[in-house]
Amino acid sequence: MLSMKNISKVFKTDLVETHALRDFNLEVEEGEFVAVTGPSGSGKTTFLNIAGLLEGFTSGEFCLDGVNVSNLSDNHSAKVRNEKIGFIFQGFNLIPDLNLAENVEVPLRYRGFNRAERNRRVESALEQVGLAARMKHLPSQLSGGQQQRVAIARALAGEPRFLLADEPTGNLDSLMARQVMELLENINQTGTTIIMVTHDAELARRAQRNIQIVDGQVCDFSMYQKAEQSVVTDLQQAAGIQQAASSNG
Amino acid sequence: MFLYYCDLAWRSIKKTPMLSMLMVLAISIGIGITITTLNVYKTMSYNPAGDRSDSINSIQLWSQGLDTWDDFQSNITYTDTINLRNNNELALKAASFRTGLAMQSDNQDIEPVLKSIRITDRDFFSIFEVPFLYGERWSKTVDSQPAYQVVIGEKLNQTFFDGQNSVGKTIYLNRKPYQVVGVIKEWNPQPKYYDPLNGAFNDAEEVFIPFSLTEQEEFDVWGNTSGWKFEPMLTYQDRLNSEKTWIQFWALLPTAADKQQLQTWLAQYVEQQRSFGRFTDTAKTPQESFQISDVALWLENNDVVPRDNKILVGLSVLFLSVCLVNILGLLLTKFLKRAPEVGVRRAIGASRGQIFSQYMVEVGLIGFIGGIVGLLWAWGALTVLHAEFNVDPSVTGLDTSMWIITPLIAISTAVLAGVYPAWVVCRTKPSVYLKAQ
Repeated sequence: MLSMKNISKVFKTDLVETHALRDFNLEVEEGEFVAVTGPSGSGKTTFLNIAGLLEGFTSGEFCLDGVNVSNLSDNHSAKVRNEKIGFIFQGFNLIPDLNLAENVEVPLRYRGFNRAERNRRVESALEQVGLAARMKHLPSQLSGGQQQRVAIARALAGEPRFLLADEPTGNLDSLMARQVMELLENINQTGTTIIMVTHDAELARRAQRNIQIVDGQVCDFSMYQKAEQSVVTDLQQAAGIQQAASSNG
Repeated sequence: MFLYYCDLAWRSIKKTPMLSMLMVLAISIGIGITITTLNVYKTMSYNPAGDRSDSINSIQLWSQGLDTWDDFQSNITYTDTINLRNNNELALKAASFRTGLAMQSDNQDIEPVLKSIRITDRDFFSIFEVPFLYGERWSKTVDSQPAYQVVIGEKLNQTFFDGQNSVGKTIYLNRKPYQVVGVIKEWNPQPKYYDPLNGAFNDAEEVFIPFSLTEQEEFDVWGNTSGWKFEPMLTYQDRLNSEKTWIQFWALLPTAADKQQLQTWLAQYVEQQRSFGRFTDTAKTPQESFQISDVALWLENNDVVPRDNKILVGLSVLFLSVCLVNILGLLLTKFLKRAPEVGVRRAIGASRGQIFSQYMVEVGLIGFIGGIVGLLWAWGALTVLHAEFNVDPSVTGLDTSMWIITPLIAISTAVLAGVYPAWVVCRTKPSVYLKAQ
């Protein structure tokens, strides 16, 4: 579904070269929910920007939905973003002058849908996030959690194959963060692939797979998680056997 | 998408009212000044002959002596006028000059009025397509056998004859009875191209009488009389016999062949007159001793549009350019402030072209509003010109075409100013702003 092979991204200035990503390899299957963690400056955002076709990369190969998107033109990238990718940002990034319905409608406008189709999708998306009753409100009239739900609705309205979320709960309190996370899990259950960058270890654990980016490279902790899980299971089983033996004895 | 962009543009303008107002003000002042000067220029440089401009021709002759005048004179002498009138090769021709006479009718209740009068030939009405309300021009024979006949204008007909058909009735010019043979409809070409020498934007005359009466009635000349040598002018006959120029001569030359034929005739005429001791400037060949000017050339030669006016238009365009640069700066500020929003739009699927279009529609809308306000400025400036400086209303009236031209110029100016800011904003990298918001 998403395949990055030997991706590297170098930011050059007159004085220094900064390697934001180096030999970055990642495969994400359709329907996965992947959490991406890592320390600040490790390259998480650069990875997300490249995955979202918002930035190019220096070398490597990137296939999205089976299509090599390494050398797409700017217009073609915009089209792919519009049709296949949904974005959720930490700062919500809603357009303050537009009401909720108009915000959700923006990507549909660029897709060229007629009014009836736009209306149908806007209503459906806002219903999905529980804000259908407030579609005429402005973003400033909503709480942070509600604004993030609108941003999710905007991402969903285009019925994308991928959702890219950059610290979607970073600006929310824990209650709202949990609500947003539940929403993302529900969306994932409908088959949408989600890649979420987060600093929150608890949220990351709720994803199906965790990868960590360190110094611009991927460290996939899934195997460790599985090993850890198997050790725990073994220990639990051993403890159970021991308990049974002592009770018998 | 255009209506969507219009909606976004209107919201954006409302969101930053002060900045938007500044831009509208800058563009409207530039447009107001440009349109004011352009309007005056356009009105003055209008060619009322339209597509007949090439066919209607005025004749000038180099009848002056050596080392006298540097240019052709717009008028010709009486002698040359008579000779040209006798040229039967010309199908339609007319001599013309202006005089003034006191006018009254049999109705004693109406005070006599001093009227500006056009002395001309019958073909004048055909050449300049003067429309008739009643009757018609005088007959061909009157051009050679003087008769006291007159053609009057619609307004005068209203004053003297209550607007009734006055053909056959009598009016008095300097107490001499003239029979009305025709009443023309309202006719006032601007500029007054058939005689721009005494006020190109004066109203057309409302009384026309036969040129053939000139010798016997000895009409005063209400116009320029120019001479290049000393000649005694003790009697009217002295004027008629002199080398003084004071009469315009027009001919209709619809085809190139007609023009060629007249050129040949004029060259022969100059040679003939030289044998009589006239046209003494032998530095000029006969072919160089005449000029046939169509209406466009005639208006140009007579400086209907003064050079100052052209300079003023240039200066006002320069001023508009200064406004344009100011608007460019304001737009750049306004648009870059919205770069984060552009980042979001780009991220969720807008192409650079769509962002560029969105912002160009916005500058177009600002330009349109600026154009409307500029039009009001121009209208106000023209009204002040008319009221305070007594400029002729025919020059200070806002031309109908300006209602279309002004918004177009304003939109074009704004779009020109907006291209760079819109280009800059549509090139912004979305990733830079998404995290920063």
